[in-house]
Amino acid sequence: MRCRFVPTVIACFKWVVDEAYIRLRPSGDLDFSSVDYKIGEYDRNAIEAAVRSKEALGGKAIAVTVSMPEATKGVKDALSRGTDEAYFVADSSFGNLESSQTAFILAEVVRTRIQQYDLIICGEGSSDLYAQQVGPRLAEKLGIPCISFVQKFSITKGQLVAERRVEEGVEVITAPLPALVTVLPDINVPRIPGVKDTLMAGRKPTVKITKDELPPMGQPLLRTVSITASRMERSCEMFGTDAQEIARFVGSLRKRGVVG
Amino acid sequence: MAGVWIISENRERVLELLNIGRQLAAKMGTRVSALLYQDSKEVQDCINHGADEVMLLPPLSRDQSPEIYIPVIIEEAKKGDPDLILLPATARGKDMAARIAAQLDVGLCSNCIALNFDDGSKSLVMERLAYGGVAVQTVICATRPAMATIPPRTYDTAMPETGRQGHVRELPAPAPSAVKTLERKVKERAAKDISEARTVVCVGRGIDKKDDLALARQLADILDGEIACTRPIAEEFHWLPEEVCIGLSGVQVKPDLYLGLGVSGQVQHLTGIRNAKVIAAVNKDENAPIFKAADFGIVGDLYDIVPKLVNELKK
Repeated sequence: MRCRFVPTVIACFKWVVDEAYIRLRPSGDLDFSSVDYKIGEYDRNAIEAAVRSKEALGGKAIAVTVSMPEATKGVKDALSRGTDEAYFVADSSFGNLESSQTAFILAEVVRTRIQQYDLIICGEGSSDLYAQQVGPRLAEKLGIPCISFVQKFSITKGQLVAERRVEEGVEVITAPLPALVTVLPDINVPRIPGVKDTLMAGRKPTVKITKDELPPMGQPLLRTVSITASRMERSCEMFGTDAQEIARFVGSLRKRGVVG
Repeated sequence: MAGVWIISENRERVLELLNIGRQLAAKMGTRVSALLYQDSKEVQDCINHGADEVMLLPPLSRDQSPEIYIPVIIEEAKKGDPDLILLPATARGKDMAARIAAQLDVGLCSNCIALNFDDGSKSLVMERLAYGGVAVQTVICATRPAMATIPPRTYDTAMPETGRQGHVRELPAPAPSAVKTLERKVKERAAKDISEARTVVCVGRGIDKKDDLALARQLADILDGEIACTRPIAEEFHWLPEEVCIGLSGVQVKPDLYLGLGVSGQVQHLTGIRNAKVIAAVNKDENAPIFKAADFGIVGDLYDIVPKLVNELKK
């Protein structure tokens, strides 16, 4: 009798600053003082893809994050979105990790704690810094195939088939499992957890890992010198809706030479 | 050996990277090498546009994609010790850059929008957007080689010069891989390439139903422009194809005129239009963030305003 394929799928996510709460001080500096946090937009697609895989094939969906201890809320959010268990690597110094460091820690957790897995899913990038490196770097650290920018995939025993979107079109790629995919935002529409999901999330297991339990990570390979407000200098001229104003609006466009 | 290395499979991207690569190499007192895939017809073209050396990768078989070259490139980089490696910030370029950076254990500035060589510290200072475009992050690679991916069309293509000479070198074939390309579906463009358009009319959530796109299209036709959309229109409603979706994770445009219809102006979208010469917007919500990023704005219902604009433009 053939064994049924019940995959273990890992979704990685980042607990990020909600950029909608970043204010601009009159001095032009960025004000992070009243920010809220969220699971990165693109990582919600990764979590949803892992949960859908479990719903279709059985097996397990695991959420993993590396963050500050305050991200407990994010771990609960990931669990209420349908993952079965979570691995939460927390340290107060993990607020500004660089991609290579995050990938190093994730690789350690996958290799030494989770051990058995079939597929790792990452978002196409984090919605804060959007470096789009953790997925590919993690795959390289684990020595597994990496298929990025995937719009659709299926897994069968030992095998991944993924549709990958590149500039020229779509490539259908096959790779042996375990493998890693980064998924595009249009691969699915992430569910919004209900009250019941949130209640159930509290009973699901979370494995907490501290910095001391892991081998020491290296220094950041990319050093951030500054983060400043990006300026879009625009004239912000407003117009009314009556015929005269519409004519003035079109006149302004003509004056700038952008309308014939 | 050192030098600035340029890696891309697309001629346009190679020429753009040669432009910035050459400028940087001159300041750094080094030379430019380009890694080309397959097509040796482009060797002299590449040398004419500024490459001092071309490294040629052997042709791919049908079931291979350029990613198979990653181990070859890594080996070559370990031997050649480049100062800087540049790739385009395309899907393939970003993927390959991150994997090469991981194997070389070096830093990578992704989606880099500005690179400057600081003569004092002898380091490359690079800029990129962060927090959906609200912020500019300035970074320095702490390791060698420095690496960056640069969005398409950030730089103009390099100007050719006649009589340039360059060295050509063939690189070894890659080892077989268990990752195979089963099929390639070349994109049949449902729409014109909006990244090259002089005028872009963009629809956002303010549009009620798919049929109403005709209204926007009418305006685009009069302006001789292309139609584009925000993320929800393409990804949630599927009213327009993905390839005309503007934003951080979509297409970045730089038209003379961008006209937003019912576009609220989330930062991710604004990032995609920041290089437009003129930004104009119509939205019924006077507090829509797009007005803060626009040169000209009309607070009004697009269903009322667009026909009026069409009339006025016909005059």
